[in-house]
Order: sequence, then C-alpha cells, then structure tokens
Amino acid sequence: MSTSISVPSRAALTGVIAGFLALPAAAATCPAGFPNKPIRFVVGFGAGGGTDVIGRAVANGIEKQQKWTVVVENKPGAGGGVLNSWLKAQAPDGYAIGVNGTDSVTINPAQANVGYEWQDFDYLGSGMQTWYALVALADRPYRDLPGLIAYAREKGRATISVNGVIGEILVKQLAKEYGVNLVPVPGTGAAEAMTAALGGHVDATTQGTLHVAQIRSGKMRQLVSLINRRVPYAPDSATLAEQGSKTPPLESHTFFMTPNGLSPEIKTCLKQAIDEAVNAPEYKAQMAKFDNEALNLGEDGNIEINRRLAAFYKDALGQK
Amino acid sequence: METAHNLLLGFSVALSGTNLLFCFIGALLGTLIGVLPGIGPLATVAMLLPVTFQLDPTAALVMLAGIYYGAQYGGSTTAILVNLPGESSSVITCLDGYQMARQGRAGSALAIAALGSLFAGCVSTLVIALFSAPLTALAQQFRPADYCGLMTFGLVAAVILARGSPLKAVAMVMLGLLLGLVGTDVNSGTTRYIMKMESLADGIGFVGVAMGLFGLAEIIKNLEEREHQRAVMAKIERLWPTLQDMKDSWRPVLRGTAVGSFLGVLPGGGALLSSFAAYTLEKRVSRTPERFGRGAIEGVASAESANNAGAQTSFIPLLTLGIPSNALIALMAGAMMMHGITPGPQVMTRNPDVYWGLIASMWIGNLMLVVINLPLIGVWVSLLKVPYRLLYLGITMFCCIGAYSLNNSVFDIQVAAVFAVLGYIFIKLDCEPAPLILGFILGPLLEENLRRAMLLSQGDWSVFVTQPISATFLLLSLVLAALIVVPNVRKTREAAFVAD
Repeated sequence: MSTSISVPSRAALTGVIAGFLALPAAAATCPAGFPNKPIRFVVGFGAGGGTDVIGRAVANGIEKQQKWTVVVENKPGAGGGVLNSWLKAQAPDGYAIGVNGTDSVTINPAQANVGYEWQDFDYLGSGMQTWYALVALADRPYRDLPGLIAYAREKGRATISVNGVIGEILVKQLAKEYGVNLVPVPGTGAAEAMTAALGGHVDATTQGTLHVAQIRSGKMRQLVSLINRRVPYAPDSATLAEQGSKTPPLESHTFFMTPNGLSPEIKTCLKQAIDEAVNAPEYKAQMAKFDNEALNLGEDGNIEINRRLAAFYKDALGQK
Repeated sequence: METAHNLLLGFSVALSGTNLLFCFIGALLGTLIGVLPGIGPLATVAMLLPVTFQLDPTAALVMLAGIYYGAQYGGSTTAILVNLPGESSSVITCLDGYQMARQGRAGSALAIAALGSLFAGCVSTLVIALFSAPLTALAQQFRPADYCGLMTFGLVAAVILARGSPLKAVAMVMLGLLLGLVGTDVNSGTTRYIMKMESLADGIGFVGVAMGLFGLAEIIKNLEEREHQRAVMAKIERLWPTLQDMKDSWRPVLRGTAVGSFLGVLPGGGALLSSFAAYTLEKRVSRTPERFGRGAIEGVASAESANNAGAQTSFIPLLTLGIPSNALIALMAGAMMMHGITPGPQVMTRNPDVYWGLIASMWIGNLMLVVINLPLIGVWVSLLKVPYRLLYLGITMFCCIGAYSLNNSVFDIQVAAVFAVLGYIFIKLDCEPAPLILGFILGPLLEENLRRAMLLSQGDWSVFVTQPISATFLLLSLVLAALIVVPNVRKTREAAFVAD
C-alpha cells in the first residue's frame, strides 16, 4: 500500500512546482509542432456519467491552459471495453486519448478474452479516485463492519446488493476472511443496488457515489470506507484496515490513456498538460461539488495499480 | 395548504424570464429531436449537458426536462406519420397511429396525441407535487419477485397487442426474449451470443431494433408497391379530430394517465411499461377490441397519455430518493451534481426553489408544447404529400444519423439494417413486431429480477406466491392467458368485425 500512497504525493508535488514555475500562463513542455491538430478525448462511458464529466473538465482545463483544441467524444459500451478495443488499434501519435477507468483494464480482461490487456496502453495520469463504501439503512442494528459480520453470523447470512464486479468480489473476499455467509446480489448497476437497499430488500450495499446524498439526509449510514482512507462526509466511518479487516481496499481511478508506443517527448508533454489541468482550481472546485477530490497518480502510480489489480482479478475471477 | 404555498413559489420561479425562455427552448428542442427519427432525447441531453454548466441550475434543469418530455410529444409524430418509434414508449403509438395516418386521419391522431399528452402531463405533474412520498413508499414495496410478476403479466399482455394470430404473437414474444439474452450475463459477467462482437456486450441496442422492424421494414414494403397503385396514404380529409374522436378518447386518456402515473414511479422499466399496459387495458375494456391495430383512436389516446404521464412521474425516484430511474434521468442527476445539488431527499428542503420551480415548469412546458405542436400538425401532415420516392430517402438518412449518434459507431446502423430485413420478412409472414419488442425489452428485466429473487429467497420458488404483489400479478396473468385462449370469445369477435 505504501507505494501507492507515496506516488500520488510525488505527482502532486511536481504539479505544484510546475504550477509555480509556469504561473500565470501554464504551458507544458512539448515537441515543436505538437499538437498541430485537435486532440481527441474519447470517453469509455456515456455522456453525463462520472467518467465523462472528468474527461470534459480536464479537456476544458487543457484548452484554457495550453490553448489547444480538445474534442471530447464518447465511445461507451462493455464497461469501457469498447473504447479499449478501439484505442488499441489507433496510432500512438498522442492525438487519440482515452478516458477510462481502472476496472476496464483490470477486470474486463480477467472476465473474458477481450483482446486487450493493461500493458497495451500508456498511461498519462488520472483525475479522480472513486470513493467506494459499504452502506446500510440507518435504522439497521449494525453500525460498522464487525456489526454486520456479527449480524450475518447470527442470522445465518446477510445480503449485499453490489454495484458491479468490483463490489461483488469484495463481498466474497469479506465472506471468506470472516467465514460468514455474505451474499452479493448483482444487478445492472449502482442505482438498482441502491433501490434494493433503500427498500430494505437487502442488508447493505456497495456504492460509489449515490450513497452520499443518503448519508447526508440521515437515511443511510456508512459501515466501512472501502478505499484506503476515511472520507469527509462520513468522518466516523473507519477503513477496512482500521476495522481489523485484511481485505485490501478498492482502487478505481479515472485515467487518461493512449495506445502504447507513444514517443517520450509527446508523452511528457501530455502528462504535464493533464497534471496542470487536474491541479487547476476550477477542476478542484468541480470535484468538490461531486463530494470527491482531484487526484493524479501520474504514469507510474497508474501502472503500479493496474499491474497489481490485473493480477488480482485474474486470480479472483479465474477461481470461478 | 403547504403544497399550495410551495407551488406558488414554484410558479414564481418558473415564470421568471430566463426560466420561461429555457423552458421554451427545451420544449422546442425536444419536439424537434423527437420528430427526427432515431435522434432521441438521450443523445441531445448528453450533447447539451456541457452547455448547461454555464446556466443557473434551475434554468438548466428546466431546459433538460423540457427536452425530455418534449421528445415524448415529438416522438409520437414520426410514429404516427411514418411508423418510426423513436423511443420504446412510442412503439405502441405506431400500432394505431400509423394505421390512422394511412386512412387519412393523421391530423386527428396527432391532435389527440398532443391533447392527451397535455392532459396527462398536467395531471402527472400534480401527482408529483402531491403524492411523491407515498408513491415512492409504494414503489419501494416492489421486490425482485414482484417485478417478476409484473414482467410476466406484461409478457402475457404482449400477446394481446397483436391483432392477428395469437400463436404468431407468442412466437414473436419468444423471439424477443431470445434476442434479449444477447449481451453480458449480469450475475456471472460472461458474455452470451455476442459472436465476438464487443459492441454486442451490452446487448442489442433498442433503437436499431425498433427502427429496423418498424420504420425501415415499412419503407421496404412500401417501395415494393408500384408508384401508381401505392396506397401509402389515403387523402387527408381533415386536420382536426371530430367530436366523435373526442368522445371516444377522453376515457382512454383518463385511464392512460392513471396507469402511466403509477407505473412511471417504478424504478427500472416502469415508465417503459406504461404505454403497453394502458393500450392492453383499453383493448380489454373496449367493446370493439378488433378495431385496435386498425386505426382505433383510443389506442393512440391511451398510449400517448400513458407514456407522457410515465415520463413525468419517473422523475419521482430522482426527486425523493436521488435514484435515477432511466438513462436520461441519470443524465439530469449528473447535471444537478454539476451545479452542486446532490439529488436526493434533501433537495426539497435545501433547494425548494429548484425543486418546485422544476415541477411548476413541467406544467408550463406542457402547455407550451401544445402551443408549439398544434399549429405544426398541418406542416407535418403536408410532409406526407412529398412524393414517397423522395420522402423515404430523407427518412432513411435521418435513421442512419440517429443510429450512428447513439454510440458514435456504425455498428448501430448495421443493427438497424439487419432488423429492417428481418422486419420485412415478418411483414411477409404476417408476424407483428410489437410483441417481439415487448419480449425484447422485458426479457432482460425478467431474467435479472428472477435471479435476484432466487438469490434473496435462497432458491425458494414459493416467494412468487407468498408475496402479495407478485401473487396478484401472476393471478392476473393467468386470467389474461385464459381470456386469450378461450377460442369462442375470439371467434365471435372476429365474426363481428367481418360483419361490420
């Protein structure tokens, strides 16, 4: 875990320094003549979703800071897989940049033969981490993870509606770790999982964003933070590790990628441009509105996570 | 009392200059994109979303909502005129609306659709204002097993949609169910029947299927007929509905509004079902069910009012729980978050101006839509006077643009093309596409809920009869199935029609 924590802070530091040196008109160091045409940001999910918003906000920042033209398009489908297949076949010239999530390169290839692996791409940086959590209705008799485990032990089982494969595997890991019957209930997405939990049809749910409003209104309680730290809107809800669990926290980031083989000069240029945009005040304000925050893990940070999680999910899904 | 006060606040917000303007822009845009086949509100809202970031949140939401329900109005126009359902909800409008147009009654059909939608829009807005909380509580009672019951009922009802042989209708429902299986299995993540095409991983796209089976297949059929003998359109007799049309329509509008208002609240597919359910209900209560599918104005009136009511009440889960009930409302949730308003139960108390302003704007927007649409009826109907050899080119082109714009991929055009050929074969075989579409839409929902119900009940099948909602729907399905198979009831009805 320690490596993944030190990497973002280093990246953030470079960002700050770059920002200082280049104030007020920030500009990345780019090879002469790059870019000589509009850059395409192709988002792996539909317009209006979380990934799309991040892609558009960063594109906007780059346009302002670098005076480039960045066109945002959407290529949704197969959990970001449609974009990855398409992107792999594009020329690595820096003009086609994918905006996608960690899960699309780590979980998709582990589930089926999709024709791409995480190594097929270069990573330019990331914009945000999804803050997953395990939440339950506030009037439930358990307030934290040990409470839920005890409840499951007493009742024989506990049902947890999950927002995707990432939540499903986590629930299975927890069940294995504690030796209790936790039943993940899959559906078509987070909204459905939330509906089931609010209606009291399941005992808890794993969520990425929808739960924040429910916590604010007092309807739901966060049992455990599923990422590596506590979150501002539920400061009393401890992390997995703090609650004594050995299950590793979830790491899903929205990153910027190109087909691999990008020239080092262009890569440096794009990495700087993205980092400047992610660290701009406008972008930070936007993330604050989402009850989240700007976070760029940089190239190395994303590679490290993708390598580790790809191996992890190959293992977890291969056992099925 | 408090509601009256809140509504007053809402109207004061909605009637302000900017909001009124954006309400109008939204309604107009919605009408336009609804009229262009294939270009749905989803694509439009997605494209306009970044623009709204510069606006005041209320104005942004008012405009986006206007596009959404405006498209419901506009979508019925192509369904009636050229048999092209832009959205799942207008599939049913095609059944009788297009037949009416062929009989030269396109004007009546369009006017009734607009007036029915206006009534439904106004009533369902009132429903949102007054009954959001109890309806939400009721919707939350629906467990996976209950959804299974509802879907089963829907599938049995699909057979009623057909005007011809029930056996063929059953076959079409089954085919629809099979097509719905294509894609990723929700429980295991395994892909099914995708034939190594990653674009199929999320299933076959609805727009391509509907566009091909209805609109494009109809074009092929029409082109097959010789120019001089082509009876594509009868002479247009009048633009406005007769008094008799009005008399025939008011009850279906009322019933459609009631059905749509309730089903719209159910998250996940509720609004989708509303026009199907309302149409089925009308056909069942009608003394002359054999007229349905042959240009019955009741069919248009009920389906249109139900889909508009459903479209509007599907905002309820977003407003009360913060849960988007379909892809388009999810976009609106995104827009709210962009403006720093977290959708959820606290919006009503924390941002009452936004909440009540949005609700009041729906009223105003619906009124605007009728004002926009009624004068346009003449324009749309006169489009039918364009020689078909030119008209079909335009329709086909817009279909391709619309299909492409869904995912920015040629794949969806290919899907539409494949289903156009399939649809043509169905026309030749006298098999109707509506039951197939219903099976296609309900199949995945049924499967998913069935598996969830089984997970939650630990494999105990008795949940379907022990849970009252599920049991009620299954009982209703049985009754309906019995009514369909009782042969002499059908016989007499057919005979009555022939004698007519």
